Amino acid sequence: MAYNAKISRVGAMTLFDLKGKQTALAGWAGEALPPFPNTPNTSASKDEMELLFIGPDHWLLHAPLGREAELETVLTPTEAPPEISIVRISDTQTFFSITGPDAEQIISIASPLDAHLSVFPENGATFTEAFGLKALILRKRDGFSLSVEQSFGDMVEDYLERAMS
Amino acid sequence: MNNRLAEGGRIDRSRPLTFTFNGSRFQGYEGDTLASALLANGVALTARSFKYHRPRGIFGAGVEEPATLVELLGKDACGNRPPTTVPLRDGLSAKSVNCWPSPRFDFGAVTELFARFIPAGFYYKTFKWPNWHLFEPSIRRAAGLAAAPADPPSSGHFEARNGHTDILIAGAGPAGLMAALTAGRSGARVFLADEGNEAGGALLSRKLSVDGQTALDWVAAAVAELAGMPNVVHLQNSTVWAYREHNLLCVNELDPDHPTLLERNWRVRAKQVIVATGAIERAIVFANNDRPGVMLSSAVQTYVNRYAALPGQRAVFFTNNDSAYAAAADFAAAGGSVAAIVDSRTDVPKTAKAQAEGIEILAGSVVCDVTGRGRVKSARVSDLGGGAERFIECDLLGVSGGWSPTVHLFSQSRGTLTFDETLVAFVPDVPAQKCICAGASAGKLSLQDTLQDAADKAVAALGAAGFKAAKLVAPKAEDAPYSAEPLWRVECNAKGKAFLDIQNDVTVDDVHLAIREGYSNVEHVKRYTTGGMGIDQGKTGNINIIGTVAMQQGTALPDIGTTTFRAPYTPVSFGAISGLREGSVVLPYRHTPVTKWNHERGANMYEAGARWRRPGYFPQSGENFQEAVNRECLAVRDRVGVYDGSPLGKFELKGRDVGNYLDLLYTNIMSTLSPGNGRYGLMLSEDGLILDDGVAMRLGEHRWIVSTSTGHADAMSQHMEKVLQFDHPDWEVMITTVTSQWNNATICGPRARDVLQALGTDIDLSPDAFPFMSLRDGTVAGLPARVVRVSFTGELSFEVNVAPRHMAELWDKVMAAGAGFGIEPVGSEGSHVLRVEKGFLSLGHEVDGTVDAYDLGMGWIMSKKKPDYIGKRSVEIRRAGGSVRRELVGLLPEDPDEMIPEGAPLTPGGSKQATEGLVTACVWSVVNGRWVALALLENGHSRHGEIAHVRLRSRVIPAQVTKPVFHDPDGKRLRS
Repeated sequence: MAYNAKISRVGAMTLFDLKGKQTALAGWAGEALPPFPNTPNTSASKDEMELLFIGPDHWLLHAPLGREAELETVLTPTEAPPEISIVRISDTQTFFSITGPDAEQIISIASPLDAHLSVFPENGATFTEAFGLKALILRKRDGFSLSVEQSFGDMVEDYLERAMS
Repeated sequence: MNNRLAEGGRIDRSRPLTFTFNGSRFQGYEGDTLASALLANGVALTARSFKYHRPRGIFGAGVEEPATLVELLGKDACGNRPPTTVPLRDGLSAKSVNCWPSPRFDFGAVTELFARFIPAGFYYKTFKWPNWHLFEPSIRRAAGLAAAPADPPSSGHFEARNGHTDILIAGAGPAGLMAALTAGRSGARVFLADEGNEAGGALLSRKLSVDGQTALDWVAAAVAELAGMPNVVHLQNSTVWAYREHNLLCVNELDPDHPTLLERNWRVRAKQVIVATGAIERAIVFANNDRPGVMLSSAVQTYVNRYAALPGQRAVFFTNNDSAYAAAADFAAAGGSVAAIVDSRTDVPKTAKAQAEGIEILAGSVVCDVTGRGRVKSARVSDLGGGAERFIECDLLGVSGGWSPTVHLFSQSRGTLTFDETLVAFVPDVPAQKCICAGASAGKLSLQDTLQDAADKAVAALGAAGFKAAKLVAPKAEDAPYSAEPLWRVECNAKGKAFLDIQNDVTVDDVHLAIREGYSNVEHVKRYTTGGMGIDQGKTGNINIIGTVAMQQGTALPDIGTTTFRAPYTPVSFGAISGLREGSVVLPYRHTPVTKWNHERGANMYEAGARWRRPGYFPQSGENFQEAVNRECLAVRDRVGVYDGSPLGKFELKGRDVGNYLDLLYTNIMSTLSPGNGRYGLMLSEDGLILDDGVAMRLGEHRWIVSTSTGHADAMSQHMEKVLQFDHPDWEVMITTVTSQWNNATICGPRARDVLQALGTDIDLSPDAFPFMSLRDGTVAGLPARVVRVSFTGELSFEVNVAPRHMAELWDKVMAAGAGFGIEPVGSEGSHVLRVEKGFLSLGHEVDGTVDAYDLGMGWIMSKKKPDYIGKRSVEIRRAGGSVRRELVGLLPEDPDEMIPEGAPLTPGGSKQATEGLVTACVWSVVNGRWVALALLENGHSRHGEIAHVRLRSRVIPAQVTKPVFHDPDGKRLRS
């Protein structure tokens, strides 16, 4: 049978790229950030925001687009001290929501990521590959969020439509 | 269906199916293959051979089939399928390959008359002059095989997907099922794939029992138990066809449970792999062993037991091992007549004889030859050592040359093989990956041994994958023991060809010839004769080739070794491999938010680096390419134009050491820039050649943004990270890619400032307040923007950067605000013309991987003050050598209306000698009203005013050497 999944193009989400020592970032951001996840390929969340573990001294803050201005005001990237880097990159990624019972199958078509719950847990978040592109995949309550560099958005939408056809 | 048994088999007699073969209509049943249905209908002659066009029938019952290939027609269109692997369906239409007009009367059979003149290697030796390709088309037509379908499938699509598992099991025969049950019960993730349309493997063809029930009841129970395990993926019609590095295996699922999927290809990463692929019966080599009616004994057994089809009426079985006895017994039990079992062994085990009570056994005997051309009529039998001969009438000759464990996947994984003298076969030896063979593929050729071996191997694999599993006692199975003796070929006084590779028409004589001609290594024999190649990959005959080489060279078979087993194990559709990647997504593409506007404006779009699809030019009604480009360029020179500069690579850098870092990356000094200002720079590779050019801008004391060329953005990102992480990990520099965080509309031309003013901005645009090579943050047209004064056209230029979410709106507003000033959108072709007029370099044109900054007349950018930067030492060493350099110059063709092809060579005087340079670009200059060109010319900087010569195939174009700038040489306009 055809896949029982729903795919929608979400577009941009609030994204801030955070680099530097955890203590320095936490000290600058105060209570604005969720707790820092310390396990690779996971995220920690608070108030609809998620902080994603990307690599050593590297995190992504992910939130609904409507919170971008508020977070920009709190994080004040342009005034951050030299030992940390906070860059708004919301427009660099295009997000897709993949939900439904067969969402994991759609992910398996797109990406070599092992999205099985035993491997990619409920707070799973990782950069991987999708349709040959660098992609960010997050596990969501009823499926997954997949994002790619914004300029590839039309191509990935094309791919996902083919996968669902 | 005159050869169909009244009962038995795994066909559904309530579901008759009609099909067409070579234009004739037949009937079969659901559950048949095309091969079993043809045999049930008494069709013995099904094909002609590849080279000699000899009559051929069906030889096997599965993927090993070497003798018959068919072309499927209509909606199943596919070339070269063994009919043994084609499930019958209503309306199926197929025809034989390698013959015309039919297998019964084939014009191509004339080649057999000249067979002695076309041995192995004939083509290599004969068709060398003047050119193989002259002969190739007609030879390929004569050689047969079906062409690929002319049209893609009329509906449906392919899919490729990824899978992950703890244990991958290849094969769902007794070993595979036993292993899957063991692994599945442990809770491990199990991926079980089998090529057949139902599980059971060899048990489907035999009459055996397991734990007091029929083996097929045990199979059904095992399948049902696996179906109830959520941790088990069980696929039938799914062949594990490739074993790659890092335990990555490819599985071709031929009949996915999806309404529009044609095939699905899985790429499965497994912690442990269990190869349970069984064993393949071998052919025996004797004269005319390819005649229709000669068939593997196991295939006879399969057709009788699984498909209720009697492939002959009176059979002789010829064997060197025990397994043919059960086949003969089953054939007799089904109503066939067995004239004799011819066994090359002088001592036949009692357990074998016991299976064939009442059948004459001719021990120590061999079949030398068969009579009959379109169908076997008799077998000529003699003692193994020669002597008395007798002819035994028969229409079916079941042959069994022993069994070869199916080690293909294990070998593909680079595991080594060893020769087992008892089994007379190569068996797995040392694994190279996390892989283990179980059951018949490991050389366990009785059912009891297979089941216990599989259970034990599964426990071992589970342990290696981190799971605990209790040691399992396999169920009791009744099966006769197996023994065999070598028989690599029958040597007796017979005239007919003895085939080692039936599919490729490779004979014993061919192998002997190869060895005589010096191709003694088995890999060379394979390539010289083509033995073991083709669709079946020599599954039934490879070991006979190895044995024949050993016999001929007087060496032991293990010393000969095997040829390399390569993927795919069976043919795979290209579509399945590519999956969704076809049509519009066959190549990656990137869009900017203006793409839709470009399409609506009628732009001619194509890729212009880094997968960006950009507008080349915007033709208006009735305009050709050149007219459109000229119009766009004139707009920029006389009024104003705008282009979408979004694809430029952009990186934001932060940290206390960014200044030093940029001084290391670029040839000139960046650290002295003050915030709000920028500088053009070059980056070199370690060997002093130009990597990229771009602009570095200082945003704040510790914040910078740098731009790179579009096509090199990814490479520069890697370069910058490499320098940082490998060479200076202690530096405080953090890099963030912001290429797609900023889109830009670049407004350029004498009226650019007017357009920006008309858009409305809070930025002071006056030249003093906002000079060339500076940037300002503010609002433009009510949108938050960063405006940068850089120029790639040589005109006053404002690069208005906004977030992509605002880009389409900005673009519309620019076009509206610019309408009163005559604004035109400019494509990449126009940009190219404008930069050539200015002599601005372009990577891939003037920067061709050989030049340095001095060659381009940019010595000013090579800092003399900095102690070091990347590439500095290499440039200095190279230039100290004093070798002649190709230097950037301008060229003006003597005939101003003559265009010079880009890439055209320059030679001294236009004569036929070594080139002294090449033309890197040539455009129609709208400001000069003539063609102008840029070129790299030996010692070009000192040759201004000379005449250089472009040497073309048909003519020589003289051109005056000039400075490489044709417009506003002082740069007053871009600084205005």
